[in-house]
Amino acid sequence: MRLSRRGLLRAGLAGTAATALGGLASGCAVPTGSTGRNMVLWYWSGGLSDTVVKNAKARYDSSVDLQAIQIGGQYRSKLITTITGRAHIPDIAGLKGEDMAAYLPNADQFIDLRTLGAEKYKSQYLSWKWDQGIADDGTMVGFPIDCGPVAHYYQYEVFRKAGLPYEPDDVSNELNTWEKFFDAGVQLGKRVPQAKLLTDVNSVFGNVVEQGAKRYVDKDRHFIGDQEHVRRAWALAVEAKRRGIVSDLVSGTPDQLSAIQDGKLPSQLNASWASFDIKNGVPKTKGRWRVAQMPVRPANSGGSFLSITKACREPERAFEVITWILNAANQAQGYVDAGLFPSTPASYDLKQMREPDDFFGGQVTTDIFGPAAQKIAVAYNSPYDVALGQPIKDEIKNVGVLGKDPKKAWSDAMSKCRRIAKHLGVSY
Amino acid sequence: MAVLEQTPPAVAQPAPAQPKSGFRKYWHLYAAISPFYLIFLGFGLFPVGFSLYLSFHRWDGLGSMEWAGLSQYQYLLSDSDFWNSIGNTVVIWALATFPMIFLAMVTAVMLNSAVRFKGLYRVAYFLPNVTSVVAIAIVFGSIFSTNAGMVNAVLNAVGIDQVAWLNTPWGIKVTIAALMTWQWTGYNAIIFLAGLQTIPSDLYEAARMDGAGPIQTFFRITLPLLRPTLLFVLVVSTVTGLQSFSEPQVLLQTSSNDSTFAGGPGHSGQTMVLYFFQQTFDNNDFGYGAAVAWGIFLVVVLFSVINWRLVQRRGE
Repeated sequence: MRLSRRGLLRAGLAGTAATALGGLASGCAVPTGSTGRNMVLWYWSGGLSDTVVKNAKARYDSSVDLQAIQIGGQYRSKLITTITGRAHIPDIAGLKGEDMAAYLPNADQFIDLRTLGAEKYKSQYLSWKWDQGIADDGTMVGFPIDCGPVAHYYQYEVFRKAGLPYEPDDVSNELNTWEKFFDAGVQLGKRVPQAKLLTDVNSVFGNVVEQGAKRYVDKDRHFIGDQEHVRRAWALAVEAKRRGIVSDLVSGTPDQLSAIQDGKLPSQLNASWASFDIKNGVPKTKGRWRVAQMPVRPANSGGSFLSITKACREPERAFEVITWILNAANQAQGYVDAGLFPSTPASYDLKQMREPDDFFGGQVTTDIFGPAAQKIAVAYNSPYDVALGQPIKDEIKNVGVLGKDPKKAWSDAMSKCRRIAKHLGVSY
Repeated sequence: MAVLEQTPPAVAQPAPAQPKSGFRKYWHLYAAISPFYLIFLGFGLFPVGFSLYLSFHRWDGLGSMEWAGLSQYQYLLSDSDFWNSIGNTVVIWALATFPMIFLAMVTAVMLNSAVRFKGLYRVAYFLPNVTSVVAIAIVFGSIFSTNAGMVNAVLNAVGIDQVAWLNTPWGIKVTIAALMTWQWTGYNAIIFLAGLQTIPSDLYEAARMDGAGPIQTFFRITLPLLRPTLLFVLVVSTVTGLQSFSEPQVLLQTSSNDSTFAGGPGHSGQTMVLYFFQQTFDNNDFGYGAAVAWGIFLVVVLFSVINWRLVQRRGE
């Protein structure tokens, strides 16, 4: 027994040494980026049009082997793991819009696209979207893929039956303030038994905040979630609850889908990509939907970027590939294939985007989303926004779902934010 | 703990009489078992050590690490959300485990006495345990949905008001517990069945001779002799129950705008591991995430000590 223990120790030591050596050896062998002709592109399922990726591969075949890999699961975790591990880093990496706040403070991990001549493309892209890809120090990290203009989806027949405006233009023009929108909800509830205008209060709160040019933390790392713009969104959400125009359903559940199908939930404020969710979730509602502008002004939800990592050996070539994949014609194709709403306004007039959509009663939805996309104002995207916005969203949900007293909920949210701000080093 | 369970049996051959050449003689055996230890070293021990190191830092996962001293742990102690998640985990564990043990015991006794289709029953009861939690959670999500759900349909049929299962603090906990109960009852019934079959039948015969009824037999013979099995089941349920993650995550995820780790209204279904994920991956607060992970570790240690005491007492 004593012997085997000693042996075990030796084996352990030998094993450790072997691992260390092996690690060193492989550390030298593992390429940090790709070499030679290989150019690795990471994206996720639905992140780019497969047709466009295939065409890009064929188009640049003479100079590079474009290896486009769809990464499944937790995309950001996998990307930051390879970047931190300094091995097998892709040359071109897709960056999801909601993760940009995490990448931008680490702009030094990416190649500044301005050094590759990005400025000359700027005029072709939505300016707010372009700015979202730029870090505080001016480094341009992300090149715009798509955007997600939020609009008002509604069911034509239900609105007509409720005596509300029902043609898209009328809905856009007449329900153009939150007050009028809420009035419409009250009228809907009276005329159509059990019908509610919106699923939950968070769709009011979230959209009102996103409509503005400020969120929870500003550029100077100061908490601004207690200011007027958030208080107003909070008050509107509370009012939606008080006036009884929100349901007690949970978004995405079978209950919600059946209510949508029965016309009991005939309206939602959602991004352009949500049309795919509606088509998949409630296919039987085909033809009943229309799209109009959201009250007050449009907002943005989602939308991603392509970046070139520091590990890329041929940034110029990579940049050429990126700009081709994301040109106006290919972005229009991306809309057809994957519902990626183009960040290039020139795409909106192309034939692929002018097709009447039978699901929306033959409406050309680009007529709504296109102008909306050009009117978006975006807020500063702080890396602390998620942590400091969550308590407020949690508490407004408690008001909406659990019937918590709004005053108590607000003060709970604020005291939680104060605690978290202190922990994260955000001034309150 | 899971890692420990997977440890392959160490080379158990007694060392023969040549003491000096132990390693030289057996090096190929050590080499044969080394892959596990090397992999464990790289993928088990190193991450554990690194997470401890990480918990004394602030890190967003990409940039440079910043020394934070004990501040992450100080914050952890005062973090009401963390304490709330411990409470949730324990409540859900209790709601799941006690009914589960009762049901598993009953099932095992019935399986033990069933004459026909024994194999079929065993497979059928084991099946839930090897089904994907995600798939189960999606099905349970529909069963427990408020208007279209089966559970509320049954409640309505017997004249009870419907419950918003996934929208109320207790409803959420009960639903998660029901899912876990369903998933683990069969597995534990099989374990109990194995335990039952180790009880010698002559004990039952003797009891019958002495005039004991079935109930008396169960409480005087079956239950005491099943105690080691019961403890094993309790320990395993504690370990799995304290780590519950997928169940609440899939059951309570809503639209893509919402955090998938928030655990429903009022965080009522936010378990410890869910909270850990939220801090680490939603907030990119890897340092604090590591501190939360060590907090979870301490809670698990506490429960393990309680279990261990229970086992010890039995040994005396």
